[in-house]
Amino acid sequence: MADDVIISYRGVKKAFGGNVIYDGLDLDILRGETITVIGGSGTGKSVMLKMLIGLLRPDAGHVWFDGAEVTALHEDGLIPVRRRIAMLFQGAALFDSLTVAENIEYPLREHMKMNHDERAERVREVLDLVGLPGIEAMKPAELSGGMKKRIGLARAIAVRPEVIMYDEPTTGLDPINTSRINELIVRTREALGVTSIVVTHDMASAFKVSDRIAMLFNRRISAVGTVSEISRSDDEMVRSFIEGRPAYSPSFPPQKAP
Amino acid sequence: MIPQPLRIDIAIENVLSRVGITVRGAVEYTGGVMVMFFRSMRASVRRPFEWRSVVEQIEIIGLQSMPIVVLTAAFTGMVMALQYAHGMARFGAQMYTGKLVALTLTRELGPVLTSLMVGGRVGAGIAAEIGSMAVTEQIDAVRALGADPVKKLVVPRVLAAMFIMPFLSVCTDVIGLFGGMAVSFLEYDIPMGFFAKSAIEITKFSDFFSGVSKTLFFGIIIAVVGCYQGFRTRGGTEGVGRATTEAVVIISVGILIADYILTKLFLSF
Ligand SMILES: Nc1ncnc2c1ncn2[C@@H]1O[C@H](COP(=O)(O)OP(=O)(O)O)[C@@H](O)[C@H]1O
Ligand SMILES: [Mg+2]
Repeated sequence: MADDVIISYRGVKKAFGGNVIYDGLDLDILRGETITVIGGSGTGKSVMLKMLIGLLRPDAGHVWFDGAEVTALHEDGLIPVRRRIAMLFQGAALFDSLTVAENIEYPLREHMKMNHDERAERVREVLDLVGLPGIEAMKPAELSGGMKKRIGLARAIAVRPEVIMYDEPTTGLDPINTSRINELIVRTREALGVTSIVVTHDMASAFKVSDRIAMLFNRRISAVGTVSEISRSDDEMVRSFIEGRPAYSPSFPPQKAP
Repeated sequence: MIPQPLRIDIAIENVLSRVGITVRGAVEYTGGVMVMFFRSMRASVRRPFEWRSVVEQIEIIGLQSMPIVVLTAAFTGMVMALQYAHGMARFGAQMYTGKLVALTLTRELGPVLTSLMVGGRVGAGIAAEIGSMAVTEQIDAVRALGADPVKKLVVPRVLAAMFIMPFLSVCTDVIGLFGGMAVSFLEYDIPMGFFAKSAIEITKFSDFFSGVSKTLFFGIIIAVVGCYQGFRTRGGTEGVGRATTEAVVIISVGILIADYILTKLFLSF
């Protein structure tokens, strides 16, 4: 394995009952890059991210993170991994009963030994970074969809992770919020030097934020390459992804097991 | 067409396999609930102890249930007084009304009716709240942010329910007796002092204790099944509705079954 590979999926299989999601997923992610995984809804993009931090376990195969096999770790052993790999959930998954500040402090309390002042300082810092200073006391119910995502990002980066996973960061957002989130992904990478994994079905976002693009098709990653490689590819499947043609449309329903 | 002979063996086999599937489902479910209970007990002794959440849950489960507890208790006591005073009059034994109300209430109806009422309210609330968290990935988020959802969500609810249910059942006993006493006096002229004295005389500590201690187990059923239903919720808001309804049914049936087992157990001592 090359030095600059930080994450690898090897021969990963996953099914829920008869619903086969992955049948031999292989993917290497390089340290410091931004990679976007494109796939239709229900094809297992969220499942892929969750397997990396042990929220879901593959039925077969291995997932590696920085030399350690995540798939061999127990729940306690996964805590350091989760400290280093943060996730922005699709719906932001903010805790409704807590304020914005309490949401952001949550991982600081669980993962780190910070005192009250250090936590408050860190909350202020990440709120600034996502462009929402001064809303510490608000509740998630008072926030718009775009703001929720940005608070979700603030909560994710509060512990200074090395890897950030974005689960459909722009889905359901208007164009202004979409480009704001795209900018944030780029800016967060510059500010923190993180490796970023974005999963989405939004091709335009993929081209804006990524170094490389991977395509999820047929229960595995079926194409991967740099943005220019992908955009110049004359592979039928890749072209249909880019152009959104129906035969291979990313929103094609997931295959069921026979 | 020649009528098919009734293949009784096939019919029996069909019925048996259906029963088999149902029984296996029930056994698996019960197993899952028990695993969750034991995991919560193990997590409850891990530091740090989350006092704030437990107190918060005691408030939600306990104090907010007081109105239905008071109403359930008062009307149960009152209706029992009516029935016993009326029925016992046939044997000229109306003076036993207080004793009968006290025994029925403390041993059986107080704990069970209170638990059923509180179970419906609290169990549905827990399942809906945790179920919504499950479908919006908040439970995944708890894990991703370095915490244990069982410790954060299940433990406070189970501890609060174990603590509050016996307390609510004592309230039921007292309020129910007052209700019975009032109705006996107003409807049948049974003197209140006499009612109270005979009620207290007949009730042994073991009667009172067996009733109250049952509710400790009912409290566990209410909280753990509510949480379990919440955790297994899938499929958006529709799923939350389904999980909630199921929670109420399973909790009610669970309380009635557990009541039989516990009563049998207590009677054998
Ligand atoms: N915990 C789970 N239990 C059962 N099925 C699941 C679970 N998580 C995801 N699935 C199923 O796996 C498939 C892929 O889900 P997901 O990864 O969320 O898709 P998406 O690409 O839209 O993120 C879906 O059909 C979904 O129903
Ligand atoms: Mg998803």
